[in-house]
Amino acid sequence: MAGRAVAPGRLRRRLTIAFVLVAGVSAGLLAGGTGLLLRQSWLDASLHQAAADARYQLVLAGQFLPLTEQRGTDLLTSFEGSGRHVVLVDGPTRPSHPAYAPTLGGRLRATVAEGQLGYQRSAPGTRPRLLVVGGRIPGSTAELYVITEEDGIAADVDQLRNALLAGWVLVVLLAAGVGHALARRTLEPVGRASRAARALTEGLLATRLPVRGRDEFSDWAASFNEMAEALESKIAALSAAQARERRFTADVAHELRTPVTALVAAASLLREHLDQLPDDARPAARLLVGDVVRLRRLVEDLMEISRLDTGRERPSIELVDTSALLHRIVAARGWSARVVISGEAVALRTDPRRLERVLANLVTNAVEHGGGEIRATVAGVGPLVVVEVTDQGPGIPAEHLPRLFDRFYKVDPARSASGSGLGLAIAREHAALLGGVLSVRSDPGAGTRFRLELPAHGPDGPPGGVPRPAGHVDVDTTSPTGGAG
Amino acid sequence: MLVVEDDASIREVTALGLRRAGFRVDTAVDGRQALVAWRAHPVDVIVLDVMLPGLDGLEVCREIRRTSQVPILMLTARTDTLDVVVGLECGADDYLRKPFDLPELVARVRSVLRRASAPVASSTIEVGGLEIDPGSFVVRRDGREVALTATEFRLLLELARRPGQVFTRELLLDLVWNHSFLGDSRLVDVAVQRLRAKVEDDPAHPRLVRTVRGAGYKLSTG
Repeated sequence: MAGRAVAPGRLRRRLTIAFVLVAGVSAGLLAGGTGLLLRQSWLDASLHQAAADARYQLVLAGQFLPLTEQRGTDLLTSFEGSGRHVVLVDGPTRPSHPAYAPTLGGRLRATVAEGQLGYQRSAPGTRPRLLVVGGRIPGSTAELYVITEEDGIAADVDQLRNALLAGWVLVVLLAAGVGHALARRTLEPVGRASRAARALTEGLLATRLPVRGRDEFSDWAASFNEMAEALESKIAALSAAQARERRFTADVAHELRTPVTALVAAASLLREHLDQLPDDARPAARLLVGDVVRLRRLVEDLMEISRLDTGRERPSIELVDTSALLHRIVAARGWSARVVISGEAVALRTDPRRLERVLANLVTNAVEHGGGEIRATVAGVGPLVVVEVTDQGPGIPAEHLPRLFDRFYKVDPARSASGSGLGLAIAREHAALLGGVLSVRSDPGAGTRFRLELPAHGPDGPPGGVPRPAGHVDVDTTSPTGGAG
Repeated sequence: MLVVEDDASIREVTALGLRRAGFRVDTAVDGRQALVAWRAHPVDVIVLDVMLPGLDGLEVCREIRRTSQVPILMLTARTDTLDVVVGLECGADDYLRKPFDLPELVARVRSVLRRASAPVASSTIEVGGLEIDPGSFVVRRDGREVALTATEFRLLLELARRPGQVFTRELLLDLVWNHSFLGDSRLVDVAVQRLRAKVEDDPAHPRLVRTVRGAGYKLSTG
């Protein structure tokens, strides 16, 4: 699941954030620039107007020349009366209104002293905001400064700034919404594709993606569908081949049954009369009887495995005494002297016929391929019942273990065993049907141990069954010191 | 006895083996011939192949059961569980899967014959409205005679000998069918169904032959 390390939705969030960032920065730059430009042009216009007005007022002020104390007062009164605040500098500095008496800066005074028109604005943040434009009254040394209030402009600038800020916030919010929706729409095919891929993984091979429009995603969807199509047909072909193979096995087994039945019956008649046969015919007859037994076992095993393949028979669950079953299996084959059975009485709910097949195959395998003393133990381990069949034979080389449960797999192909080569495969299939696990360990030179783990409460029993997938086969080898007994 | 089998090799070698075991054997190659032979010469036991050309073994079995409780042993070539159960439900007493051992067939034939003629305790057992007479092989229910096959009779008798005791399927297989080693417990289940159909008032809700979950069956005395 490493492919899904990026949490779903993270890419969508990233796309949305990028969209908002781009929209926010560009809208912010635009709004800021606009605001600054507007403010500057308002201030310039105000200055131009004030300068033109100041020139006119300076000409008007010429009427009060020559300036005396009284005429200076008259000038101030006259200007104040016309609604203008002025400051007259003729030796002393005399404002027309005491509230409008800004400090006249050095640069302003210097400019005016050179006979030019000069201006100054009060520092930002001070109230009232004043624009002072001044010059020398023509024909005199007196300087007149005309004062204009710019509070209106400041208020306009504030308002403009607020409006722009609100607009910016709106744009950012809008961008977030649009970005989110866009990212979602863009990424939706990706989500759909990953859901489809997961459905394919889960075996819904008919899963396809809708192909809409003609963009990169629709191309992608089309290729995805081609892939799914190819996969589906390949799997269908494979399962058809497998089904054919299984049907063939079943047919072969079925067709062999009738002649084998006749052979088996004839062989058992022949066996009773081996002693009465002429000496030179007896060995051949004995071989024939023995081979018929092998042939019969092969056909029966083939039929059993093809029955398991069709999977039509459900296990019928009963309470089983595993130790007693082992005793019966061993006694029925006359192996009581070779097989030592030990173990506790544990309650096991399972299908007795299937369990018998598994255990009989394990014991037969140990007797025929193992050697030495064979031990079969039964134990309850938590929610499991564990049966182990151990031999002290030559063991099985590690490279054979992974394929040991394969059909017709033989550790030593040259060795002509009496088995069909299907016994362990059958045992594994039955174990899987019982919800159990069949595994093998082997120490070359020390012996082999088969281990069957079954859920004590049956394949569909209450929780606490075998915590592994049914039918799983474990294979491992122990170190030579591990011991197999 | 009558052996019905379409495959010549199996038929001949089976007949040969049974004759050597001391039986007098007639043979038939298909269902129709089997019924004709049976009507002409009633026998003590029939060995019947399921897969027969024309009239198959199941139909032959049903046909014979309409008039007779003769022991029938089915030979099945099919692998399906279902067919085995259907065969047993048709009234067969036992079945043998192909390929089979001749000694096994002989043993099974002897076993069904023994059931049909076993000289058992002659005292009549009365239980739950049933009157079981082991001597004359007759079961009466409320005074009327009930037709049971030898297997059904033996099953009922074993249960009735110890009313209330729980019999496991394995024990019943051993007692009734003489299957020595892990036989097919469905044999018991199907025979119990058939028995219930004949002796219970309502076979769907058995009052007499009770199932003991996870253990087996018992005859209720209540």
